[in-house]
Amino acid sequence: MALLVRRPTQLFVCFLGAALVAAGLLAAVEAQAPLAERAALAERDFLTRIRRLTVEGRRAGEGYWSKDGRQLVFQSEREPGNPFYQIYLMDMASGDVSRISPGIGKTTCSFINPETGDVLFASTHHDPRSKQLQEEELAFRASGKERRYSWDYDPEMELYVRSAKTGMLRRLTNKRGYDAEASYSPDGQWIVFSSTRQAYERQLSAAEQKQLETDPSYFAEIYIMRADADGSGPKRLTNVPGYDGGPFFSPDGKRIIWRRFDEAGLIADVRTMNLDGSNERQLTDFGAMSWAPYFHPSGQYVLFASNKLGFENFEVFMVDIDGKKEPVRVTYSDGFDGLPVPSPDGTQLAWTSSRAGGREGQIYLAQWNHQKALEAIKNAPPRKGPK
Amino acid sequence: MSALPHVCGKRCRLFVAVLVLATAVPAAGQTTRPYVETLASEKFAGREAGSPGERLAGDYIAAQLARMGAKPLPGRSDMFVPFTFTAGSRDGGSRAIVGSTTFNTTKDVIALSFSDDGEVSAPLVFAGYGIVVPETQNFGYDSYATLDVMDKIVVVLRYFPEDADQQTRGILARYSDLRYKAMAARQHGAKAIVVVTGPRSPNAGQTVPMSFDTALAGSGIPAVSVSGAVASALFAGAPKTLQTVQQELDSGNPHVAGFALDKVTLSLKTALVRETQTGRNVVAYFPATSATTGVVKPWIAIGAHYDHLGLGRNGNSLAGKDETGKPHLGADDNASGSAAVLAIAAAIGKQPMRRRNLIVALWSAEEIGLVGSTAFVNAPPVPVDQLAAYLNFDMVGRMHDNKLAVQATGTSPIWSRVLERANVTAGFDLTLQEDPYQPTDVATFNQAGIPSLNFTTGAHVDYHKPSDTADKINYEDLDRVATLASTVVRRLMEMPDAPQFAKVAQSSQTAGRTGVRVFTGTVPDYTSNAKGLLLGGVVGGGPAEQAGLQKGDVIIEIAGQTIANIYDYTYALELLKIDQPVKVVYMRGTERRETTLTPGARR
Repeated sequence: MALLVRRPTQLFVCFLGAALVAAGLLAAVEAQAPLAERAALAERDFLTRIRRLTVEGRRAGEGYWSKDGRQLVFQSEREPGNPFYQIYLMDMASGDVSRISPGIGKTTCSFINPETGDVLFASTHHDPRSKQLQEEELAFRASGKERRYSWDYDPEMELYVRSAKTGMLRRLTNKRGYDAEASYSPDGQWIVFSSTRQAYERQLSAAEQKQLETDPSYFAEIYIMRADADGSGPKRLTNVPGYDGGPFFSPDGKRIIWRRFDEAGLIADVRTMNLDGSNERQLTDFGAMSWAPYFHPSGQYVLFASNKLGFENFEVFMVDIDGKKEPVRVTYSDGFDGLPVPSPDGTQLAWTSSRAGGREGQIYLAQWNHQKALEAIKNAPPRKGPK
Repeated sequence: MSALPHVCGKRCRLFVAVLVLATAVPAAGQTTRPYVETLASEKFAGREAGSPGERLAGDYIAAQLARMGAKPLPGRSDMFVPFTFTAGSRDGGSRAIVGSTTFNTTKDVIALSFSDDGEVSAPLVFAGYGIVVPETQNFGYDSYATLDVMDKIVVVLRYFPEDADQQTRGILARYSDLRYKAMAARQHGAKAIVVVTGPRSPNAGQTVPMSFDTALAGSGIPAVSVSGAVASALFAGAPKTLQTVQQELDSGNPHVAGFALDKVTLSLKTALVRETQTGRNVVAYFPATSATTGVVKPWIAIGAHYDHLGLGRNGNSLAGKDETGKPHLGADDNASGSAAVLAIAAAIGKQPMRRRNLIVALWSAEEIGLVGSTAFVNAPPVPVDQLAAYLNFDMVGRMHDNKLAVQATGTSPIWSRVLERANVTAGFDLTLQEDPYQPTDVATFNQAGIPSLNFTTGAHVDYHKPSDTADKINYEDLDRVATLASTVVRRLMEMPDAPQFAKVAQSSQTAGRTGVRVFTGTVPDYTSNAKGLLLGGVVGGGPAEQAGLQKGDVIIEIAGQTIANIYDYTYALELLKIDQPVKVVYMRGTERRETTLTPGARR
């Protein structure tokens, strides 16, 4: 079992975590994975000039573009002395890469403010145990032992924003609980994020307390707040048991897209809703783990990742924004392909892949064929409908 | 860009304009094409080290470098740095007298390429396959265990036991190289070694052709191979016939003992003629534009070998029967790397500011064992410890699918960062391989403790054949490789510190691979890090092609051995038997397929 779970959980903490690890019971998912979806389409129909973008460090992932496409912010394990992810900003014209996060502790899930260029991310660097945790992890890795990696939904995780102008760091949240997976609205005025704070705000039943110890992500819900907020008054948008996370705005700023796990943390599907949480719509129903959704900037379709074809074989898929058609497969490579993020002009795709071999992911870049994508979605058969 | 005008605002369009300007370069492929076309022309006849073609090519390269403003190295009057090397060996009259019969043709008696010259008359001992597996391998096999061969002549079988199980063969194959067998005989006190190709082996009864061996060190004792006729004479009156004892030995049973051949006498004479020739490295430099006092390690070097196989008369040619004797033009190997080096030199030469001196080196005699670069490092015109880094280019002209492999990245912790940044704009699908023990000049510089890289686009079906021609080069992408490398060179020149050297442990899998004698006709794609063995091509008419394998297939299992990488594959090859069909499992695209491959014999 450990082997089965290891790869996906190591690759991406942000969107997929303990739910999976806790579950450990994936037979159901695997059983319904037909080996090959033999369509006339292939990877090269949508992706050309595929190339590995990040090279340094043990692994990297979750690349998000600046509005002008000149920068890409991502997380990577490359900081000397720190085994955890830190946040880096890549200048796409010069190739220069600079660290944005403090270098201490754990970080994840960065995003660039479309208006100001400020960088939003989650970090635990204020935790006085940070250095000690780094050293423990380094010692563990040096011992050569392997363990099931699990994203721990560290309740110390808080949202920070780094000013593009001054380089100063400002703390946005201040609540016990995991605050992370945040992104800006297109006008830079709003932030959506995922948080487990509700589990720390109220008295939990004995069963809930046990749940928090084994799988805190169960309590994660989607919140929205003003980007200039001082940490007070985020509004909760979801209220369903199971891990809600990875929210992003639609290009017109009117909808939020995210993924919701079922209570057991086994199956996830992509959903959209209005900014007030109303008018929810489910876009996928593979009965597998479908997650990491992101709108194409045309607003005409959504890219996401799913392990429909085999537990460890995540592939990128795309689906129309109403979820009326059967999703179309985009990538055709072994191992992990996920976390797709199109460039703001819609002509490139950045995603995270382990296609070079090994277990660790790196960021890849390719030319994106938008016309072909539209055509394929148009020709896709109707979806069978949510169960 | 036209795909999405409606989502692309003003800022976006501006961005496109900037990008277009930034990437405006001369017409694609125009920088490197003339260099490749000239070097790979018939005029240079395949640029064999020491040949007139190599001299002409060297003259051409020196003229190009002079035109760019490069200078001879300090203290030298021209760019040619000559060195001598062993160009080949031939038998100089070896003979064997068995009893009263004299054998003196090379069909019957021929010195092995590493033999010492000498005359020996001594008692004879047959020592089976002559294989000694070191104790460290935890596998007991010692052909000498029960024998006293001190001051005697040892007779051994070529190859290794034919019928042993795969695991046993895999181990024995590693210690069946003739050089290794000669060493084992010498260490047991033998005065000479005689090799027989057994009646149950491929090439039965034939002598071992004189192979090309550039290493000057001999085996310390006379070493010959003899024909089946000589072997019969040696076994006259022996307790078992050669056929019988080979059959017993072929099970792999380590307890089948050798025996004295005391009914006959042997007088052996060996004579080997080694031919030395002179090759020329072409080496120049661009001086720093300011004083280098205070610059740590003020030299960097770029290089590529410009020699190739000439008419392919030496062992390295893979020419098919219809192509033998034709010039091996070596457009990809390595006119392409030479062209990349010249293009980088031209770019750096034009640069107004250089903090470090740049050495531009075009090596000769790489194809016969990295001889030119080794000669340079052994007698460096610039102290090697003043060299901050070395970049090598070998076969960079056949890019497909935008894939570029950079090897030896384990030689410095800075390489991954430097390459990532340079590649953001260059845009290759990079594969990084830490291993510096590559069959190219980068290995020489790694050995000398210099942070090094090798750029390559990998092997292909025309590798080491006359069909490696200039019309098959991907010039557009070759230019891009030169541009990427120029960026790396600039960064190295500007760095205040020198890159730190890191020693990469040599994998036991890459070390001392010997005894592969089967021929499968597969051309591995060395640039791939994919799980399995990606085929860059198959040899026309070879076993792989006959089995239906083709370029792009990924072999994941052969003869029951799962294949995760090239090393697994090489190891698995040692287990194959000539003419014995094996199952091959491979992926074609996403489809898993099976076929049967029948290995042939390597000549």
